Amino acid sequence: MSDLSVNSILDATGGATTTINGFTPTVSNMAGRNKIINGGMGIDQRATSVTGANWTVDRYYYNTGTASKGTAAQSATAPTGFVNSLLFTSSSAYSVAVSDYFGFQQPIEGMNISDLAWGTADAKTVTLSFWVRSSLTGTFGGSLRNSGAARSYVFSYTISVADTWEYKTITILGDTSGTWLTTNGVGIFVHITLAAGANNLGTASSWSGSNLLGPTGQTSVVGTNGATFYITGVQLEAGSVATPFEHRQYGQELALCQRYFRKMLATVIYARFASGFCENTTRASTYIPFPTVMRSAPTFTTSGSFAVYSGNSVVTSVTVNASDFTPISCAINGDGSGFTVGQGALILAHNDAAAFMALSAEL
Amino acid sequence: MYKLINHIISNEPSTVQRLADNAFIPFDPTNTDYQEYLKWLAEGNEPIPADVL
Repeated sequence: MSDLSVNSILDATGGATTTINGFTPTVSNMAGRNKIINGGMGIDQRATSVTGANWTVDRYYYNTGTASKGTAAQSATAPTGFVNSLLFTSSSAYSVAVSDYFGFQQPIEGMNISDLAWGTADAKTVTLSFWVRSSLTGTFGGSLRNSGAARSYVFSYTISVADTWEYKTITILGDTSGTWLTTNGVGIFVHITLAAGANNLGTASSWSGSNLLGPTGQTSVVGTNGATFYITGVQLEAGSVATPFEHRQYGQELALCQRYFRKMLATVIYARFASGFCENTTRASTYIPFPTVMRSAPTFTTSGSFAVYSGNSVVTSVTVNASDFTPISCAINGDGSGFTVGQGALILAHNDAAAFMALSAEL
Repeated sequence: MYKLINHIISNEPSTVQRLADNAFIPFDPTNTDYQEYLKWLAEGNEPIPADVL
């Protein structure tokens, strides 16, 4: 055996890549480089539109302190190679106040940015890339911020042609200052700005010790009634080159999203959610394991009608709650009456295909 | 407004219910909803006591 040490490997025709055991390695087929989850906007477990600060497509938060100036929702309008985008549609011609802000934000978990070594002298350069389209033209931007709201990098880009998809890349020198968490807290906030007041805008292409969201001169999407802004194909990766978007398999992307949010939708009218036993005459105690380890013990919410199926009868008028949370499981309790202690029990939707339970460990 | 929820075995508070949306929030310091609850407490607010099970 011997070691091969060369500066490059070329194929027989002089190309820059060659085949190794039948596989041609290129940057576009290296997995795991995109630090953004659901950058293609295809996962939308909540499947709802929002008009105030709230989660929209998975991992994206419509970030605003001023509700009812527009709607954020998944869209089927997308550039070639994509199926979905995230769309904001302005609902008025609103003049932003100095402290206003509107944008799409993804908080990246600290553990997923530890390799960047931000906040040290070895901080790595990153490149942000995305497809964008708007009914407006002009200067747009966003920022990368830390969890402490004490470091931010404002970037800007230009949309040149209205209603046309454009591909943007922004390379950012890593921050050698500040505190950038590498825990299960927020590592980096990636903010795509739709509009912001002067207090939240600053000089582009530089780091600052403040909490800025966009560049001076940022176009206001909320300033024109009916204005649209679409974005998809968002990728943040180490290095100074924007590689092609990393298209993960659907199941992989969904599992990544479910670390932060999971919606269990009935889809059929008597769908079973969880099984267990009757702890006493008024409570059916069940348990569900999570399909992936969640970022933290999650918050539990429900919507719709539920029942408990125990013995040979269905008890309706059941209220559902949860307890004993960990990042991998929780107890789901169906509270009603007339249960037989020790008997097996199922918690199910009660004639309600739209009923759901949700678990949130969002950042 | 929040309400404490006792654990059925220990009969001690183990979860907090956010009444606005009927969310059940674990006592996990890395859960952002629990962090919001702690801020609310720090502002001098008090939750509804838990029902004794």
